[in-house]
Amino acid sequence: MLRLEGLSKWFAKGTVNEVQALDGLDLEVGTGEFVCVIGSNGAGKSTLLNCVAGTYPPDKGRILLAGEDIGGRPEFKRARLIGRVFQDPLLGTCASMTIEENMALANRRGKRRTLRPGIRDLERERFREALSKLGLGLEDRLKDKAGLLSGGQRQALTLLMATLVRPTILLLDEHTAALDPKTAGLIMDLTRDLVEGGKLTTIMITHNMQQALSFGGRLVMMHRGKVLLDYSGSEKERLTVQDLLRHFHEANPLIPDNGVTDRMVLG
Amino acid sequence: MTLYALSGALSLGLGYGLMVLGVYITFRILDFPDLTVDGSLPLGAAVSAVLITKGWDPFLSLLPAAGAGFLAGMVTGALSTKLRILNLLASIITMTALYSINIRIMGRPNISLISLPTVFSPLGRLDIPTIISSNIVFLSFILFAVALLSWLMRTEYGQALVATGDNPRMIKSLGVNTNFTIITGVGISNAMVAVSGALIAQNQGSADVSSGIGTIVAGLASIVVGETLFPSSRVGTAIIAVVLGSVVYRLVIALAMGLNLGGFSFTASDLQLITATLVVVALVLPMLRKKGAR
Repeated sequence: MLRLEGLSKWFAKGTVNEVQALDGLDLEVGTGEFVCVIGSNGAGKSTLLNCVAGTYPPDKGRILLAGEDIGGRPEFKRARLIGRVFQDPLLGTCASMTIEENMALANRRGKRRTLRPGIRDLERERFREALSKLGLGLEDRLKDKAGLLSGGQRQALTLLMATLVRPTILLLDEHTAALDPKTAGLIMDLTRDLVEGGKLTTIMITHNMQQALSFGGRLVMMHRGKVLLDYSGSEKERLTVQDLLRHFHEANPLIPDNGVTDRMVLG
Repeated sequence: MTLYALSGALSLGLGYGLMVLGVYITFRILDFPDLTVDGSLPLGAAVSAVLITKGWDPFLSLLPAAGAGFLAGMVTGALSTKLRILNLLASIITMTALYSINIRIMGRPNISLISLPTVFSPLGRLDIPTIISSNIVFLSFILFAVALLSWLMRTEYGQALVATGDNPRMIKSLGVNTNFTIITGVGISNAMVAVSGALIAQNQGSADVSSGIGTIVAGLASIVVGETLFPSSRVGTAIIAVVLGSVVYRLVIALAMGLNLGGFSFTASDLQLITATLVVVALVLPMLRKKGAR
């Protein structure tokens, strides 16, 4: 499904601020797999997703998605294959556009934008139905601007929009990190429903170890631009937060305390 | 203010209304401050005037005028997206280049259209005052433009254009090439500005290379006036609001010109200062109101 071969990425290469975010990373994700990615700040998690999505090109390595080498394609050309939810709830929707307009934009992901109507009546019915499943009452607010919604509501809408056209791979970049715990729980339930219900191939970055343990069938810990740990199946089910913390400290012997924040353990 | 002056201000408001719609596309929809308009307004005038002196049909001359404006806008859009020049600076570069280009097109700084056929000639032959027939022509053009733009904004392309101005990262992740929407969007904007310039030139009987000075400020003033007087959150109604804003703006300017305060009166050359002041006041007003509420 997704295969990353020797992926490397530098930032500010050749300057004193040079940072190697990805260091010859290899990763293979099978069809229908739900992979949680954890790692300390600067481990390269977001860079990984951004390289797959095409926000910037990798400096070395190949990205194969559904048999296509997409490494050199601009972001908008990969969008046909990729559904994406950002950490910032404001990034996923257009505040000045209505809920139905936002959904119509998402319903055309990867398609040519023509001079045909931006929204069709048939679509509205489908949007209403999909929204009603969220249980947030948004199905009666199709004509409300997305900017009127709360952060949680906007993130729920974004998640729905990312899966409106079935993505070959779904990329979730700490999509609950900016929300309060209750709302985050709601969004994670929705994530589970959408991903498991649709058997979507998914990579989810999280800072929350408990989340990483309870979601998905595979857990990858990144460190300095490489895959440090990779557990799946029963091996993953036996893992505890304590195990992860131990691995984390082994990987970061020089930062005893401040490397692991409360947010990572408690989330 | 005489009825004649009032009607003249209405003409200008409707004629420049097309320009205001163009500025609305870049400034409000695309969030792209575009000064190209100071050059594309006389560009449209120049192209249309030259073609009319060569015997072209005045209506037909509007098409190459629009095309020239579209190209000018595309250049600005390409400078900004492909060459990564800051959008405001990119538009200043195009505007500056257009000054030379406009004189090249006309072969001299201005062309007179007196006694040549214009889009206003057919109605002018009827037995109604010229000023009224002009307004009818301007009104028809602006109604057509408003209808066209309202339709365009509801299409898939138009929605992508709105999203490009609102949240470029999001719309890129949904598969839209924002370079394309910006280049064509700024192009469409300047096509409208160029047609506006052509109509005004035909109406006033001459095309002049310096007629574009202050276009952007007048456009912004009209938008702000329109949005303040007729607030609207929907693109369709906002389009009408800014055209009305254009008319109100020209009326206010006409009133200011007619003022006579104990020997002091404004001259035509004070227009830019009045407009600039008006824009500052209009832009600062919402901020002051917020402060007052706190």
